[in-house]
Formats: sequence, structure tokens, C-alpha cells
Amino acid sequence: MPKISDSINLKNIVCPFCSLHCDDISIDVTDNKLSVKNDLLPSCKAKFEKHNRKIFNQQLCLIKGKETDYKSASDYCKKLISNSRETLMLNASSDVNISREILSSASKINGIVDHINSNIFLKNIAIYQRRGYMATTLTEIKNKSDTIILFSDNILRSYPRLMEMVLAPKNSFSINPKNKKIFVIGDKKSNVRGCSHKDSRITFINYDNKNIPLLLESLVSKTNKTKLSNQIFNKLLKSISKAKYLSILWSTSELIKYNKCEQIIYKISEYIVLINETSRAACLSISGNDGDASSMQTSAWISGFPTRVKFTGNYFEYDKDAYNSKELIESNSVDLVIYINSISSKKLILNKKHKNIIIGQPTTKYNINPDVFIPCGVPGIDYKGHIFRMDNVVSLPLSAVKVSKFQSAQQILRDITKE
Amino acid sequence: MSSLHLKNGRIFDPANNIFNKNKDVYINDGKIVESLDKKPKVTIDCKDKIIMPGAIDLHTHIGGGKVNIARIMLQEFHNNSDNDYDLTANFIPSTLKTGLQYIEMGYTSCFEPALLPINARQSHAEMADIPFIDKGGYAMLGNDDFLLDLISRGADQSEINDYVAFVIKASQCIGIKVVNPGGINAFKFNQRALNVDENSIRYKITPRKIVRILARAVYELGIPHPLHVHCSNLGVPGNFKSTIETIKAAEGLPIHITHIQFHSYGNNGDRNFSSASAEITEQLNKIPNLTCDVGQVLFGQTATMSGDSMKQHANHKHAHPDKWLCMDIECEAGCGVVPFKYTDQSFVNALQWAIGLETFLLAEDANKIFLTTDHPNGAPFTSYPHLIKLLMDKTFRDDLLDQMSTDISEHTILKDIRREYTLSEIATMTRSAPARILGLKNKGTLSENADADITIYDSNINDVEKMFAHPSHVIKDGIEVVRNGEIKNYIWGKTQVIKPEYDQSIEKKLDKYFKKFHTIGLSNYMISNDEMSETIGSEININDCLRKRIS
Repeated sequence: MPKISDSINLKNIVCPFCSLHCDDISIDVTDNKLSVKNDLLPSCKAKFEKHNRKIFNQQLCLIKGKETDYKSASDYCKKLISNSRETLMLNASSDVNISREILSSASKINGIVDHINSNIFLKNIAIYQRRGYMATTLTEIKNKSDTIILFSDNILRSYPRLMEMVLAPKNSFSINPKNKKIFVIGDKKSNVRGCSHKDSRITFINYDNKNIPLLLESLVSKTNKTKLSNQIFNKLLKSISKAKYLSILWSTSELIKYNKCEQIIYKISEYIVLINETSRAACLSISGNDGDASSMQTSAWISGFPTRVKFTGNYFEYDKDAYNSKELIESNSVDLVIYINSISSKKLILNKKHKNIIIGQPTTKYNINPDVFIPCGVPGIDYKGHIFRMDNVVSLPLSAVKVSKFQSAQQILRDITKE
Repeated sequence: MSSLHLKNGRIFDPANNIFNKNKDVYINDGKIVESLDKKPKVTIDCKDKIIMPGAIDLHTHIGGGKVNIARIMLQEFHNNSDNDYDLTANFIPSTLKTGLQYIEMGYTSCFEPALLPINARQSHAEMADIPFIDKGGYAMLGNDDFLLDLISRGADQSEINDYVAFVIKASQCIGIKVVNPGGINAFKFNQRALNVDENSIRYKITPRKIVRILARAVYELGIPHPLHVHCSNLGVPGNFKSTIETIKAAEGLPIHITHIQFHSYGNNGDRNFSSASAEITEQLNKIPNLTCDVGQVLFGQTATMSGDSMKQHANHKHAHPDKWLCMDIECEAGCGVVPFKYTDQSFVNALQWAIGLETFLLAEDANKIFLTTDHPNGAPFTSYPHLIKLLMDKTFRDDLLDQMSTDISEHTILKDIRREYTLSEIATMTRSAPARILGLKNKGTLSENADADITIYDSNINDVEKMFAHPSHVIKDGIEVVRNGEIKNYIWGKTQVIKPEYDQSIEKKLDKYFKKFHTIGLSNYMISNDEMSETIGSEININDCLRKRIS
């Protein structure tokens, strides 16, 4: 870890903020202030440099909105935990090591553990818990995939470098990258606006993605039953027919707005499985937001289950419905919720019916004052760690790039659940 | 650290040629010592006890992406509510349960054989969460585009050696494994089979060439563990021929054929499926540098998990329950998870059971064959005590054969084999031999200065299955972790690694390659020693290579 007075350049730093986790970030650190040196998109650069703001050095612990010291805050948390009959530990964003600590803490207090995105990633898992699934990863897509379909309304905005780094790269070794065909299917206006990478290999197709099953059915039967023009449909069909390695990508967080989300994902998977009877194809559900891939993987090896577990004295029990955090909170079935939000900037929606503790990165937003707020360091900025990328296979090391004023989320969890 | 005195035990220490000899063992600061200067803190009366070094499992899938996929895919099997530890199924246990069940059986070191370098961080993090045991991994090579490209361009062996050594260091591994050489890669280009002398479409090289080059690299780098080979044609009737050809591909250099049972199939008879254990063990018995582990099949539900995406995809139609996942991974390898239920009502499964046992019993030297079920592919590791009984008790195995739902008596020579393994042979194949073949100088032995990893069995228990399932004491790093069959102390083992020498210039080439073609940089692909201890959570222990690199 650098000293405050150091002036150094750090290379190949992994970005913790989106699940692409670009690892080519170069940062100058002077007087504990970060300056990103790469020619990155402004939105990526800003995520690092916002950590120079005063609040990232000065945020204090809060009890019911009033400033206090760490010991008072952690003691108050202990009291809330000891008075609680049912505690939910809700992982709102973390890396592998914080996820480990959440499970360890839950085992000390017989807590329930869920991830804030579990509604989404459980839909992806459901496919291979029921049927067959052919998956791929980013480097395979970059180098081997000659035809790519991205079902998206807004994905390119959420993952600004996905196109440049993976889908439409300059270099691929198994194929001529110039011949790659990339179809971005969904809200065309939004996709065109969100795509900062201009490239003639990309075809934007305007389509309502709730009708993905109809499009796939049309592609299988080679008969256009969709509202797409025959010209566009045939262009897509021709590329798929010629493809040596077709990749289909989507983000379940986008599809979840449709009632038939699970059916849509299943149909994509079924289509890929069918193609593999004679040719090669694979799918990738873009996931990993807010460290959900890290949480799911860690929970699986420690408890056997991906999320929604409760420690029952001897071991973790799983119940997809009974330990669904959203339901637990709405039905007032828990009396204490501990939010662990070490990375994300998304606003946490607290329910005033029960007690709330937030262990959060210093600028964590929330709708109502929690009973206790304890600021924690950010893995990848303040602390070392490791985190899974969107393909759920590659995990990357997170560095400590500045000297932190805050405890790590792991230490805070250890302190407040100390017996 | 405590000192211990194990008094009056019957010692089985094959590394020192000591079998069934009364002897005291002394332990100080985690090591075995000749004697103690002071009165020991703990003395264990070992009268009527058998003392062996801690057992070593050299091929068990205990960490990495495929294991976790299986845990998530098959969560309906996590219902062991009568189990003290957790609900997870024995064939896909949690990390905690893995450690507890291994240590309770007296296993103190276990090795994950299919560690994808790109997935190494996950594999090590998972294994770091397994208590008690030491662990390690074999890095999977031989389907990665970088290596195949080097070979197809006719790169010098020395450059390939540099790459192999780099990968071992970068992924913090102890050996190299090749799975379906070239086949996983070929599957990505839509080849559905790749025989030993068949060219892949993309790289125009054969599995034979890949095995030859990798076996040479492992030898020239002085890596103690021979190239660990999962042969071509996994599970295909008649595959024994390609297994023999794969063995020949090493051209006399050390080679370890893993889960050889799955590669010992003939295609004779009405059902085009027969045992070729005799042909395979003939090779094993006559070729000095050849070793194998068996991958014994035992009946029941399990999950098959393999890097062999080509064959796992082909096998998915046999999935039970009917679900599966295959994956192409990072231009490096692949994986396939297919749940499977072995049943003695199936002729093929029943014969697989017999082929494994035939292989064990026809192998003449317990130093060359290792006790594995390819956990969980053939059966969970918790079935080892049952397997040991099958090997040590002819009547027991004949009775089971007679009771089978499917009559395979005309298809197996099992009943004609009179051999029963001795305790000495079991000690050899589970202790000294795996330690030697992995280059673990301080394990698998009760020599002075060896790690005090020791298992104590109660010889009054007549049933060897029960005896091996429940050692009375287990000592790990000199700490009594199991006493009278109960867990007494939780400790965390180390990750066993090696660091072969290489010319650093390979990193420059790889750096360029990664920048151009990969989606992460080389520096983040590599796992440093500090990262292992600080972030991943496991200290490493660096073992010596056999010799200086042959340039």
C-alpha cells in the first residue's frame, strides 16, 4: 500500500466499478489523489477520480444521521444485532473477500444472507438447473466468434468498453476480425447513442426484445414471423448460417422487466444448444454487477448454494423463497437489515419498519437515515481484493491504490459480530 | 507448537521400507523428530494402533469453476440433513465439508488436477477455504491457443519449456495436466473427435505431438510430477488402443495416465463394450516410467466434471438428472458438467466397476498405481474406505459381483483374480508413492524432519472399511486435529507449489500476445506469492524441482 506522501504511477490496475473490470488502468497518485492517465472514456475516468473528493476522506460514522466515532457506531451495531431476532445481511456490492466475511459473520449471528441482485442471477442459474447450457467467455468471443448477437437496450452504456475490447476488437487470432459481424438487437436509438465505438462491423437492429423467442423461432424455421423487414431478417439469418462460432449475449438485468424473462433466456439457451448439434455456438449472460458473481461463487463454495441462505446453528440452509430479501423486507419478517455496499453508487432503498445498518462506501446514497452508517473502504481503491468478471470465470486482483481513512468492510463486519 | 509422543504403535512407513513394525514416533514443532529433549505435551497410547503417514489424494476435483457449477446446478441433492457438517451432497461438498471429510479419513494432502490458469485465482480461493489439508493444483495446458500455435509453428522445445514453467509459476501450481490433448481446442472449431494421430483442423497437429512435447517439457524442467494425462477418447468403447498410443507418445519419458479406468475399454462382444484392463495393465507393468490412477466407478448418483468439453458435450445425452453445462474458456480450455447416476442395472456401469477393480488387481507394483475415484467423476472420495475393502477382501468383492443386478460374470476376470491388497500395499499407494511422484519430500513418510502429517487407525476394528473410514487420531503439521474420531482443532494447510526455472524473455512475448488477443493483461493473469497469502488466503510451500533445467 502506498504512503500518503508518495508520488507514484500504478499500471495495470483493475477497475472495480463495472463487471467488465478493465485491467489496463494507469493511475498517478500524488498526495493520495488519483489521476487516471489512460485515454479512457470520461465516465470510466470519473469513477476513479471521484475518490479525490473530500467526502472520501472525511465521511464519519453516523448514528441516526448524527456524526459519531467508529467505536460508538460499532458498539451500537452490536447492540442492534444482539437485540435482533432475525437479521438479514444484504450484500449490495462487494468482492470475494467481503462475500467470504459476510457468510462468516452470518454464521456467528445465525443471519440470513442474500445479494441485492439475486432476483436477476437466479434466473440465469435456473436454465442450467433445469436443462442444457453452452456458455462462453470474453476472450473466446474476441478471438473465435465471427458472428455476435447482443440483445440490448442499454448494455453498451453500462459497459462502455465492451464493444472496443471484446465484441469489435482490432485483433482476433482465429478469424479475420474485419469479417466479424456484430448485431446489436433492441432499442436502436438507445444502442446507437450508447455505443461510443463507431465501427462498420456493427449492425443496429430495432426490435422489441420481449419478442426474442419469436425471432429465434423465425431463425430456426427460416421464416420471418417478426416485424423486422425481410432484408434485415435475411441478413441476420445469412450471417448465422455462415457462422463458424456464433455468440449470443444478453443482460438479464435488462430482460427482467418482461414477465417472460425466464422463458426468453431459456429460448436463447435452447437455440444455442440446437445449433451445437451441427455447428458451434455459445451464449454469455452478462452479469457480475455489484459483485454479484463474486457473491454467488463464494456462497456456492462455502455453503453449496448461490445465495438466500440462513445459518441455522450448524450449517447454511437454502430457501429461494423464504430467504428472498425483497420479500423479507416487504413482509417485515426481519427486524434488522445490514447492508454491505462497498463499491456501488446505486441508491439503497431502506424500509423504516425495521432497523437498518449500512456498511457502505463513503458516498453511499439512501432514502432514509439508517440507524447506523459506517463508511468502509472500497476494494480496488482502498483495499486489496479480488472480483469475478461478467463471465463468471475470470477473477481479477483488486489493488489498494491510495491510503484509506476507512476500515475495510471485512474488519467492520468482524468488529460488529464479535462474540 | 506442541510436542507429541506416539507410543507403541505398529508402523507402516513404506518410504523407509518399514512395514508392521512396533516403533515410537516423536513430533516437535510440526516435524517428526528422532527423540524429544523434554517430556512431550501429549502422549498417545498407540497399543493396538496402526500408524501411517497422512494419506495423499493426487487426483480429486475439489476447487475451481466446474466444481462450483456442479454445486449450483445440483442443489436439490444438498439435503443431507442428518449430516453434522452441512447439507451439501457428498459428491459436491462445500469447502468446509471437503476438509472435514478428508481429515476424518486421515487424508492430509489433496490435489486438484484440472486447474485452468485463467481460473487459478478462483481455484486457489476455493481451496484456501478447505480446512486442515494441504492442497495443490496441476495447470491445464495442451488446448491453449498460445501453446498450440507455438507447436504448429515448430517452436523450439526450449521456448515451450519456458512457457510451461511460466504457467506453473503464474498459476501457483505443482504440475502440468493435459486433457484430451488438442481435443478441447478442436471442439471449438467443431471437431467432434480427435484421435491420437489425427490432425486438428485449426493447428494441424496431433494429440501425439502435444503429449510428446509436453512430456519432454515437464522432464527437462525437472518438474517432479510426470505429465498428468487425461487421454483422448474418454469413455469411448475401444479407447484402450488410443490410451496405449498416448503412453507411447511420451517416448519413454515419465507419464502419468489419469483415471485410466475410463480409458481401458474394448469394443468386443454383443454390446460392443468390454474390458481391456489386461492390455492396459500389461503396459503399466512393463513400462518403467508409466504410472496411473484408476478413477474407480462405484454405484450411486454423482456429477461428472471435466475439462474435456468435447466428450462431455457428447455425453450430455446420458445426463441424470437431465441437465448439463459445457463451456469454452478463454482460448485456454473448456469444461463440462454432466450429472450421472451409476447403477448396477446398467451393463456398462457394472462393467466399468469391474474394469477399475481389475486394473487395480492386475497392476503388480503399488508404487505405480494410485487409489482414486476421480472424485466425483467415478464416485465421491468418501467411498475410498469401501474401495480399499474391495481391494483387500476377495470374498467381499466376489459377493458384490454375485449380487449385481446385471450379470457381468462372463465379461470380467474379476473372480479369477485371487489377489488381495495388503495393508503395506495400501499404505504405499496412498502415502509414499503419491508423495514421491509429486516431489513432496516431506510428506508420505515418517522420516526424521518430515511434516508430521500422521494417521492412526485402530487395529481392533476388524472391518477394514470401518477402520479406514474412521481413524482414531489424525495429526496435521504436528497438531492433533482428530482425537478418538472427533475433530479437536481447526487448522489451515498450505498450497504446495513448484517454481521451475525459465528464461524471462518468454514474459515479453506473452505480454505482447495478451495485449493483442486476451481480455486481461499478463500481470493480472499471474498470481504472486503475496497475493496467495494476503488476498487469496493460503500460504504457499515451494517444493524443489528434481534437477536443474536441462537446456
